[in-house]
Amino acid sequence: MRYLKTSEAAALLNVSPNTLRAWERRFGFPRPQRSPGRHRLYTHGEIAALRDALLDGLSISSAVSRAREGLGADTNALVGALNAFDSSRADAALEGALALRSLDRAVQEVLLTALDEVARRHGTDSVQWAFSARWGNSWLRRAQRLVSPSIQSVSVVLGDASRDDLDPDAAYIRSLELLLARSGATVLGLSVRGVSNMSEALAAHRPDAVVIAGGALADDAVARWAYAVRLATGPLPVAVFRRGSQRQRVRTTGAAILPSTPGEAARHLMEMASHAVSNPSTTRTSTTPRLLADGA
Amino acid sequence: MSSPDRRAMLRLVPQTAETYVPSQWFCGHCGSPPPNNETPAPPARVCGDCGLGLLLEARADAAPRPNDPFLIVDGSLHVCALSGESEKLLAVAETDVINRPVTELLTPADAEAAGAESLAAAIMWAARGEDEPSRVMVRPANVFGVRMPLRVGACGPPRAALLVLE
Repeated sequence: MRYLKTSEAAALLNVSPNTLRAWERRFGFPRPQRSPGRHRLYTHGEIAALRDALLDGLSISSAVSRAREGLGADTNALVGALNAFDSSRADAALEGALALRSLDRAVQEVLLTALDEVARRHGTDSVQWAFSARWGNSWLRRAQRLVSPSIQSVSVVLGDASRDDLDPDAAYIRSLELLLARSGATVLGLSVRGVSNMSEALAAHRPDAVVIAGGALADDAVARWAYAVRLATGPLPVAVFRRGSQRQRVRTTGAAILPSTPGEAARHLMEMASHAVSNPSTTRTSTTPRLLADGA
Repeated sequence: MSSPDRRAMLRLVPQTAETYVPSQWFCGHCGSPPPNNETPAPPARVCGDCGLGLLLEARADAAPRPNDPFLIVDGSLHVCALSGESEKLLAVAETDVINRPVTELLTPADAEAAGAESLAAAIMWAARGEDEPSRVMVRPANVFGVRMPLRVGACGPPRAALLVLE
């Protein structure tokens, strides 16, 4: 994946960097990522698609629309492969998407979008969904194994409250794990069903933040798990990810509610955990497990 | 002997060469011409003034003035660009109407015209490259009691119809 700085992208499109930023504000495209220093980084594929569209376009809007359509073709190719139960074609479609986007964006814009589309078209009790969910989760686990080891001293424990791989939230939770790992965090993913001997796992891991992700398991199971974590580590910042209709009630516990997209959620969580690392005395929440049990 | 009616003579015939009509470049968003009215290089068609439109060419008598409300429509009657003034006049955002049929924005409003198809016909002819600008009366699609003269001409590249609300 080749990235371009703002000046390089502007030179490729023959416009000024200010114009490129104005397009981002007005059209939401091209949408850059941010470097660790918060500078804009554009993917070469996106800029090249826009340049080609501009050459025979009548307006910036129509060129942006055409460039977007071209990029959206990857999602359609992946949906087609999943509907045909063809895992090698699905792998190839995602590889194609990775040629134009970063892994983070390919996961969010192509893989998760395609899974949502299969679930919408066929329902989550269909064989198409069973195949797609299994393929998606397996792909995300493979990608996580390839992530280079953590560079930051941030550690997160993730309580997985999804039902199984067929739970529509499962792929989002795998994505959050992957994006956290890519942000440099050490992630310990645990099912909230496992409670005993929690202190052994957390003694080895020493987490800076706790995430409860998924909405399939009941509040009681989640509360037991959160209580076990608290007993083992003391109070920690707690965040909730994709816990569905119970979000309103979670607000009363003091637990942070993460955005439902994995990229945004990972960014918020990293900020939360980094803050906890730098200010251990002030950021540790006083939320009691009892309150969490009431809400989460 | 040749009779007087057989005598060779010169006849006046219409001129076959096209009359020269000057053309003008303008920005598809703000209507401003490029600096010094120079023809822009193909990869550098983004307006240097507003940065939100591409520079297009039209006959000088069809091209909009800066800050005129205008639209660019392709041969299939879909909106390809909307100027900043048109966004204000029609109360829509360009990003919302791109690739939508122009009839969602403008409707024929001339009861004395030969038929309601005159707007569509004028756009289609202009998008095909019909050089001579034409005029039709229109109204915003969701507003009654308002009539606006519309100047329809050709523009490009690529070839499209330029609709200037006068």
